[in-house]
Amino acid sequence: MAEKKATTKKAPSKKEDSKKVAPVKQETKKAAAPAAKPKAAPADAPAQAATVMPTMNPGDARVGVFICHCGTNIAGSMDIEAVQEASKKVPHVAYVDNYKYMCSMPGQTVINKAVKEHKLTAVVVAACTPRLHEPTFRTATKDAGLNPFRFEMANIRDQNSWVHMHDREGSTDKAIDAIKIAVAKAALLQDLHPKSVPVEKAAMVVGAGVAGMQAALDLNAAGIKTYLIESDMSIGGRMSQLDKTFPTLDCSQCILTPKMVDVGRAENIDLMTWSEVHEVEGYIGNFDVTIRKKARGVMTPKEAEAKGIVGGGCNGCGDCENVCPVVKPNEFEVGMKPRKAIYINHPQVVPLIYTIDFNSCVKCGLCVTACGPEKRAIDLEMKDEFIKVKVGTVILATGYDIFPIENKKEWGYKKYENVISSLEFERLICASGPTGGHLVRPSDGETPKRVAFVLCAGSRDNTGIGKPYCSRFCCMYSLKHAHQIIEKIPGCIPYLFYMDIRSFGKMYEEFYYRIQDEGAKFIRGRVANILEDPKTKNLHVYTDDTLLNRPIDMEVDLVVLAAAIEPKADTNRTRKLFGVSCSMDGWLLEAHPKLNPCGTTTAGVFLAGVCQGPKDIPDTVASAEGAASAASIPIHMGAVELEPYFAMCIEDKCAGCGMCVNLCPYSALSLVEKDGRTVMQVTEAKCKGCGTCGGFCPGGAIWMNHFATPQIVAQIDAFLLGGEQ
Amino acid sequence: MARTKGYPEALEKKLRDQRYVREDSNPDFLKNVKSISRTIAHMCYQCGTCTGSCPSAPRSSYRIRNFMRRAVLGLENEALTDPDLWLCTTCYSCTDRCPRDIAPTDVIMSMRNLAFKRDIVPVNFLKTVQAIYSSGHGVPNNDVNRAAREKLGLTRDPPTTHMYPEYIKGIQTILNHYKLKANADRIVKEREG
Repeated sequence: MAEKKATTKKAPSKKEDSKKVAPVKQETKKAAAPAAKPKAAPADAPAQAATVMPTMNPGDARVGVFICHCGTNIAGSMDIEAVQEASKKVPHVAYVDNYKYMCSMPGQTVINKAVKEHKLTAVVVAACTPRLHEPTFRTATKDAGLNPFRFEMANIRDQNSWVHMHDREGSTDKAIDAIKIAVAKAALLQDLHPKSVPVEKAAMVVGAGVAGMQAALDLNAAGIKTYLIESDMSIGGRMSQLDKTFPTLDCSQCILTPKMVDVGRAENIDLMTWSEVHEVEGYIGNFDVTIRKKARGVMTPKEAEAKGIVGGGCNGCGDCENVCPVVKPNEFEVGMKPRKAIYINHPQVVPLIYTIDFNSCVKCGLCVTACGPEKRAIDLEMKDEFIKVKVGTVILATGYDIFPIENKKEWGYKKYENVISSLEFERLICASGPTGGHLVRPSDGETPKRVAFVLCAGSRDNTGIGKPYCSRFCCMYSLKHAHQIIEKIPGCIPYLFYMDIRSFGKMYEEFYYRIQDEGAKFIRGRVANILEDPKTKNLHVYTDDTLLNRPIDMEVDLVVLAAAIEPKADTNRTRKLFGVSCSMDGWLLEAHPKLNPCGTTTAGVFLAGVCQGPKDIPDTVASAEGAASAASIPIHMGAVELEPYFAMCIEDKCAGCGMCVNLCPYSALSLVEKDGRTVMQVTEAKCKGCGTCGGFCPGGAIWMNHFATPQIVAQIDAFLLGGEQ
Repeated sequence: MARTKGYPEALEKKLRDQRYVREDSNPDFLKNVKSISRTIAHMCYQCGTCTGSCPSAPRSSYRIRNFMRRAVLGLENEALTDPDLWLCTTCYSCTDRCPRDIAPTDVIMSMRNLAFKRDIVPVNFLKTVQAIYSSGHGVPNNDVNRAAREKLGLTRDPPTTHMYPEYIKGIQTILNHYKLKANADRIVKEREG
């Protein structure tokens, strides 16, 4: 640092003069100088810093600069030669080279050779973005014999050539600046050693729809203890509400129930239904999760046994349900069938344990009597329980809800009786549904003869009321619905009002062909509005047959809205517990949309199924298997390396004020007694290196590894003072 | 043109329609429409919600979706010379329901603006201009209305320029500023002599 100061003073740059901010800079310099001293301090001060020996004097630093063309991505928008020539003049630069693709094997060899031949102490690659290739070049740096953290990247593509595509001169100058800044830091880089933390050999899956079940089954098969958390009373999720699945027309329940039974039986799966994630602490490898087991009012045989009731607990006989006097709409049947206050969703529930809806239970005690003195399964005074578990990795599979389509008032849902949603259609056409599989009009129970399907109902909608995205499976299930109508009701014609039929999956286009062949009518036009004939309760569907260029008013008996989907109501709360972001539309944000769709930016947390974005069943299962595979890797490795970017306390300077402790968003800091003084202590594994504490500390007692104050100051100096010699 | 040589002109014209980029397409048309209408006309995906919502469409040959398409493709002449342009009732149903959040009504209004610049405008619209100029009202009060108002306990004339004719001057100043009256008079005279 001292030397750097000397050089800049000897030859003040032109920039300094022209900008006339020199005095200010001098001051900054002076201010930085005393701060620069303690740079060396952490070396002897904190015991926890034993692995790091900060020396903040660039001294004989020899930095190599490697400029990437990225084909024409970078080279097309700037003068690489000029950048190279300018880089040679930057202090501490010992070697400069450029290559077409620095990330390629030959490109990495260039780095490797140069480090050895020119005895480089640090590597700067001017290329795309650290997000993409920091790991690549760190490995290259390591292979060349340096500590991998003696690498710094200058972003001259994403933040330069791509945005200044038509300003060759400007982007060249900016690239030179970026390299100067990177070199200034590179000269001060230290050897850092990632910390390894053990990984708990257990995983958690949140949500037990088809995605969560598949992920849990895979983890189970891999021999990993898995906690499967489901907020509903049974596993199975949305798929268990469906009648048939496209394009194979398998019965949904028939292919799902074996999986549900497998989950119930699996040796390594600890299934917790009627439960929610309450609190999460920790980090990859060591998540401490508190689960809220909602009061169910009914004990499982296991729970009963634990309470000393041998041979007791719920066996699913249903005697309680028969005597219960309270009648409520069954949510599983979208409210089209009654249930009691003590109930199960459907006969195939797993686990087969009754649940009391305490919001409607009148505590009359009839069910307790019906259950009898042997089973004694019902406890009307049951309270929520909190269970703590430790897991290494987590998979979120929280799924979706149907968009409240009544918000699009023009289609009259919840206003006209015979306008139903697609999920209601599924239950009506399902043999185990409220009508035993007979599709009827809600208004009069008659069998419809003309049924209109409104596609994109709330999807592809930029008005702010609907959803801007395509919900991806509505086209296909509407085709399936059309097939079911043709199959079950002779003479009934389905009319599909569509904008585009998106039949993109395997055998999907063939399915479209088949349904058209069976007699479904397709009308290309988005439905403008629907009006009801108050006498017949028939519906008038208004649209433009865009292919005939003719406005139409079609009278039908029943309208089915292929409603858009949205993230499950509780998704936002759950994602915040795990520190996962969401995209603008509310779906959970993957680490990379193409190359890491199952990962998140929180290490150890993965996404499966629709919670990441609309998916049909095949894609959901594939995504779940991907997430399970990704989540099992750290567990099988047994340990994970954490980025060594954690904060360190310079105990000599720490006044023990504790303000940083409250600021830390990751609860990584605490106050401890040491040698009769109160000082701050960092739990390195919890620290994400965000710098909140370091930036705040009034005494300058917090040292941020890899983003240390002298390193940052050097970068600012390099930019403001030019860095030329 | 070669393949239609010798065919009647009508067929020639019909075949010309098949060519997407036509001699009368004007890339600036969409730009002008967008800047006048202040709506994202280029984002139309031709779903038909507008025509389906339109009270005029089932009663006429007016198809708003066609005008949206013409805007996107820059078919200026076709759009501005189509007499259907003047059949919009400006009820704004299409604007209410457009899933792309476009305001098709405003697109139509901008096209009417552009058409008027080329003197393409039905005479009845110009007569409305003349009525506003002379009375301050597009639909001036009449005796039937006056009687109805009286029956309802209202003044015979509403508290507008009808009651305060001294303010008609202000309206006339505005219309003169935009040369609306002069143009209307000129075009009506040309058409009706």
